[in-house]
Parts: sequence; structure tokens; C-alpha cells
Amino acid sequence: MSELVNTRLLTPGTRIVLVDGAVAEVVSNPQDGVWVFARYLSSPTDPSVVGSEEMIFAQDIADITAS
Amino acid sequence: MATAGRGYRPGLVDLDRGRISREIFVSDEIYAEEQERLFARAWLFVGHESQIPNPGDFFVSGMGEESVILCRDRAGQIHVFLNSCRHRGMKVCRYDEGNTPVFTCPYHGWSYASDGKLVGVPYFREAYHSTLDRAQWGLVEVAQLCNYKGSIWANWDKAAPSFEEYLGDFAHYLDLTVNSWDGGDGGIEILGGIQKWLIPCNWKFPAENFCGDSYHNISHRSVDLAGIGPSGSGRRDMQERIMARRLQVSLYERGHQTGIYVMPQGEPTPPAYAHSPVVSEYFRHCEEERRRRHGEWGRVIGSPGEVFPNIALHPRQPRTIAVWHPRGAHQTECWRWYFVDKAAPPEVKDFLRDYYIRYSGPGGMTEQDDMENWNYAHAASRGVIARRHPYSYEQGQGYETANYEWQGLRIPGTVMDITEAKSSEHNLRNLYRRWAEFMEAPSWDQLATWRRAGAGIVQAAE
Repeated sequence: MSELVNTRLLTPGTRIVLVDGAVAEVVSNPQDGVWVFARYLSSPTDPSVVGSEEMIFAQDIADITAS
Repeated sequence: MATAGRGYRPGLVDLDRGRISREIFVSDEIYAEEQERLFARAWLFVGHESQIPNPGDFFVSGMGEESVILCRDRAGQIHVFLNSCRHRGMKVCRYDEGNTPVFTCPYHGWSYASDGKLVGVPYFREAYHSTLDRAQWGLVEVAQLCNYKGSIWANWDKAAPSFEEYLGDFAHYLDLTVNSWDGGDGGIEILGGIQKWLIPCNWKFPAENFCGDSYHNISHRSVDLAGIGPSGSGRRDMQERIMARRLQVSLYERGHQTGIYVMPQGEPTPPAYAHSPVVSEYFRHCEEERRRRHGEWGRVIGSPGEVFPNIALHPRQPRTIAVWHPRGAHQTECWRWYFVDKAAPPEVKDFLRDYYIRYSGPGGMTEQDDMENWNYAHAASRGVIARRHPYSYEQGQGYETANYEWQGLRIPGTVMDITEAKSSEHNLRNLYRRWAEFMEAPSWDQLATWRRAGAGIVQAAE
């Protein structure tokens, strides 16, 4: 099991894996420990979101992936 | 005079007899009524635009008991929001000030953009099945907001008049605080941070003190003796007192009031700030410019005043605005903003900073005197025996003038000339006249008395 991700440390450009298997790239971080702004790179459950930018909830982030 | 134990009722403010019941200061029931009747309907000062110059900047302020966020959104628009998450009420911002793209509630994670829109809802798709109408759940925004020469004012009541109408002719006097000193468009800015502190008294004690009450000057005798003023004597430069008319001015239908000095025609404003030639020269130049720009009105020199209900103005030496936030019937949270001309040289700003903090705030020598009075006056008025005995507000009753003019200068408002009388409670009565009107009026239809013929709800005794 991967370690809990500290969202406050996520910098723009970091790629994150979400709990549903999607991968997104951090665009900006408000440093609130709850959300990051990220752009979807892939999404096995909903391909329509790929390319879009969304706020990602900290508890939906499963891991950091090598870019 | 009514006795203890009930809420507001007519007669507690008896201006015919110049008496005001202690109940209005110490009653928990009346305090609770004030929150709805006054603070939910009156225009309140929340900050200055110089505190939020950039998109995303915010400053957490207060309106009555409510915590509010003064912020500038990404598009540069200024907003004032209730600092409370729409989901369970947690404060969405617990910092005093800063810059942020979003205000995120730490409780369940709802997140709001700087324009108040709800932009982040955890498990929106999964738990809410994408059905929550986020447009309905943005931060609660004030009903009205006004940027008056950089000072930001807000109101919860959409039926309230515009801020300019709320001020009426008092705008002339507010300008003495918010205009740059030379009367031009340069503007003012906040100097340093906001001083905040708690004192154990009802908010109306400091409010009435700053209406222009000069009767309490004896309290500051020790400061005057210490000579903390910027020329080395007294606590302020007050040479104008020797030659000017000294006036108390009340706006009867608005509830605002202030003291002013009016210089004789053709007489320049006396020199000040003798401890610093640079500062002294700066203000001499500004005074000259002010006279040139404003003509006869340039003869008016500001003195402490109050925008109804709880915003104290101190236009000169030091130049500050204070808000007396109600924190229960027996406690007030004081917030004091300090101002300087934006265009003033750094040496002037530094000199003023030192002088301001020597004078005002919780560590200021003059304000300490005031706080001691308010604290003990409140404490000594709470007992069941004390409550039976009203305060006296009879000083100067019947000596006010409706159309005051001196040496060709007409003064807006109802005026009490205290040049010879030394003191009056004219302005204090005006505060409580309006306070009673707010406590009794069901809506702004009744409060906007100037829009209709006839007198206000509480008949003026003067």
C-alpha cells in the first residue's frame, strides 16, 4: 500500500494517480491541504474528462507517479 | 424610567428629559435585539481597498457578530462574504489576511472561489450523484457593497439606501478622513496592520466617546502633561483651538456626528509636527493645497466623529478609523485601522507610525485612558441597583443651531457651537436618537425619514 499523499507538497507538473485509476497532472496548488487543481491525462472510468482541468479532492489521490 | 430585565421598549432613551437608561448598555436582551435591528440593517465599515490590492487578496473582517471575508476575485472585483461554509457553517477562512485562489472549509472540504462560487464538493459525483446544484450554495454575499474613496462599506439589507444616501451631508466630514490630506485624488493607504483587542464593556461606550465627546478630556490630563504630541506638548497639535470656532455637528436623520474646527476666513492652518521639519513641511504644503482645492471648506479641520452605528473616525493626529465590534452585551472587540497619504514620503509615514501607536490602540497612551473609563463605567452599571438609575445627557440641550454659518461658511447638519461652552452632549444625544429609531423601526421604509415629510420615529427633543 502506498503512503498517504501530502497534498501540500504537490507542485505543478507532478502526476498523481487517483483512486479510480485516473492519472492527472497538477496545475496549481492552493495549499489548503484539501484540493489541488489538476488536468486529467487518462481516466479508465470516464474518458470524457481527459484534457479537462478539475479540482481533485485529497482523499481521491492514491499515489504520485513518475512523470 | 424603566427597570431591569426586559428587552428594548420606548422610553429607555428619553431625550426630552436628557436621560438614558443603563439598560441599553447592560441588558443581554437588548444586545440580542441590536444584532437584528442595527447590525443587520446599517452600513458597516469592513476595510480599505489598499488591504486587498491584488486578485485573490483577502482580509477577514467583521460586521456586528458576523465574521466576513473582504476579498478581490480573479477579475479584480471586490466582494464581502459571510465567513461560514454553506454546508455546516465552519469558517472557510481562519487567517487574518493573505492571498488564495480558493477558500476551503476544513470540516468537510467544500471549497469556494474568490468570487464566492462553490467550486469544490468532495465526492460530488459519487455521494451527491452529481445532482447538488452548486450554483445555489455559494458563499453568502452582503446585499450591498460600496467602495467609497477606497474605504469599503457593506450592508446585509437590500432595502437599505445606498451608502451615499445613508451618509447624506456627512460625506463632507467622512472625506476629512478618507481623502488624501491635500484634498486631491492621491488617496490614502493602511499603515501597518490592524490593531485588535478586547475590552469588557458594551460597544456603545466607545461609540459615544468618539461622537465628539470632549467632556472627558480631563481623563487625558496625564497624557497632555507627558507631552506625547508631535510638537512636544499636549497629545496633539491643537493651535487652531485658540482662533477657530469649535463645533459639534449632528446629522439628525442619519445618526452620524462629529466635532470640527472652523478657521477664521483668511487665516492659515497653524503649523504642526514641529518635531520633524520634513513632516511639518509636508503638512504645510498639503494644507495650502487643500485650501486651494476646496476654497472656504478648506477652513474646516476634522476632529473625532462617528458614522452610525459603530465606526469611529479620527481624521487627524492620529488619522484612524476604529470599529467597535459587539461581542456580547459586556464585551467589545476593538479594531483600529491607521491611515497615511499614499503619496506621503517614507519619512512622513515613519514619523506618523511612531506617533500613532504612541497615541492609539491597546498600548496607546490616550486610548488606555479611555478604555479604563469604559471598562469601569460598564462594570459599575450592571448591578440591579445601578440599573435603576439613568445616565444624564442634558448638557447643552436647547442650544443647537439648524443653519449654522460663520464668516461665510455654511456648516451642514445641526450644530452646537462649543467655542465658549467648552462642551456639549449634543452629538451623544444624536447617536442615541438614531439608535432608538433603529430599535423601533420595522424596516427602512420608516428609517429613511428624509424621504418623507415630517419627523422621525422618535421625536427629536431638541
